Amino acid sequence: MNVYLKNIFRFVIIVLLQALILNKVTLRWWNEPSGFPVFIPHIYPLFLLLLPFEVPVWGLLICGFALGISIDAFSNTAGMHACATVLIAYLRTNVLSALLPRNLSEYSGLQPSTKSMGWMPFLVYSGFLIILHHLVFFSIELWNISNIGHLMLKTGASTLTSMLFIIVYLLLFTRQDSARS
Amino acid sequence: MRNFILFIRRFFNLILFLALEVVCIVFIQQTSTLQGNDIVSSANAVSGLVYKKQNDVVYYFGLRKMNDSLLSENARLRQMVEQYKSVDTLTDSFVSTRTTIGDTARHIVRFSDYIYRTARVINNSTNATDNYITINRGSAHGISKNMAVLSGIGVVGRVEHVSANFASILSVLSAKQKVSARLKNGANGFVVWDGKNPRVLTMIDVPQQVAVKKGDSVFTSNYSLYFPPDALIGTVIKTEQVKKNAMQHIYIRSSTDFNNLQYVYVVENKMTTEKKMLEDSTLKK
Repeated sequence: MNVYLKNIFRFVIIVLLQALILNKVTLRWWNEPSGFPVFIPHIYPLFLLLLPFEVPVWGLLICGFALGISIDAFSNTAGMHACATVLIAYLRTNVLSALLPRNLSEYSGLQPSTKSMGWMPFLVYSGFLIILHHLVFFSIELWNISNIGHLMLKTGASTLTSMLFIIVYLLLFTRQDSARS
Repeated sequence: MRNFILFIRRFFNLILFLALEVVCIVFIQQTSTLQGNDIVSSANAVSGLVYKKQNDVVYYFGLRKMNDSLLSENARLRQMVEQYKSVDTLTDSFVSTRTTIGDTARHIVRFSDYIYRTARVINNSTNATDNYITINRGSAHGISKNMAVLSGIGVVGRVEHVSANFASILSVLSAKQKVSARLKNGANGFVVWDGKNPRVLTMIDVPQQVAVKKGDSVFTSNYSLYFPPDALIGTVIKTEQVKKNAMQHIYIRSSTDFNNLQYVYVVENKMTTEKKMLEDSTLKK
């Protein structure tokens, strides 16, 4: 499939998945330690993480902004998701070039995935960006320094859950070589 | 000039990054005011439509629960009608007249200040710091900003954004709005939400000498500009003394179950504009 078409398709799928299903899943890790934050898994930054290696930084920024604003429109948080997403879009290239053994230009035609990078580097790459995204997003949302323990707890719990959902997504939607033959 | 262009080319990514972040911050800034940002909200045409399509599917799963709540509400309203039938001496009334032809007593008819409109909830959230509810009614159906929204059993929120066919409601579960409330015995205060548990609200600014029992009801007060008086907010779970200002915090279990909202009533107060104009003109002097 054409790479543009494939990514537009993925954009729509991920935005709808996030807005219609995951935004309604309110998770609580255990029931009654009063004040343990409720949270929802965010998998939509995955679209940004899976864009091909060759996309220039300005392209990433615009994709990130569009993605963030669409999620914002669905969850009534004008600008908050976009702010966090644009930040990780800006940092993505740096994180990738720090993690990968060869120069980024040598990976033409590929995209970051568990196949092209291996499980461990991909999890480090996505984990780092997701934790950054959640930290920025929740600090904007709460906007309250005095509650730093609550913020950290919420970020930590939310990151772990989001990563879990991202791994499930990857297992479901990555094409296996054995399945094709 | 050449240097300037070189500079732009060299730092193009950084400049674009900063520009986009500034746009985001402007959006966030607009949201934090009460007027809000109409373009990026779930009242806009695209997301409203998607939510409506989704709700058309999910709607049927909750019908049973909804029937039950409508029945119990009907029962309550019938009981209220019976009570009002026997009363014919309300003091602050406008007109007294015979309500039926064969009637011998003159009943006092009060023209209602409030218009109730029903709306279906098509999207709902309880997990953010400011929670919003989207409904399938908009300015085409007479909804406008700042109308109060009630459920069958309690307070829900206030209309914040309106488009032609959809409106989004800032729910009581929000750090942005305080609801003026009173206890059964008349003590006034405000109900706020601490952002943690969607079933628990907090009532603040109640003096310590006011005696509060577990299970007491909390209602909206007469002072609120948007909410009709005497709408139920919830029941008291526990109280907590605040040492530093001789007030107490009262924790309330909200009577509305925000996780299971199906239908809401949008309440238009016909007197709001007049009241607000009067209050504003007093402030100016």
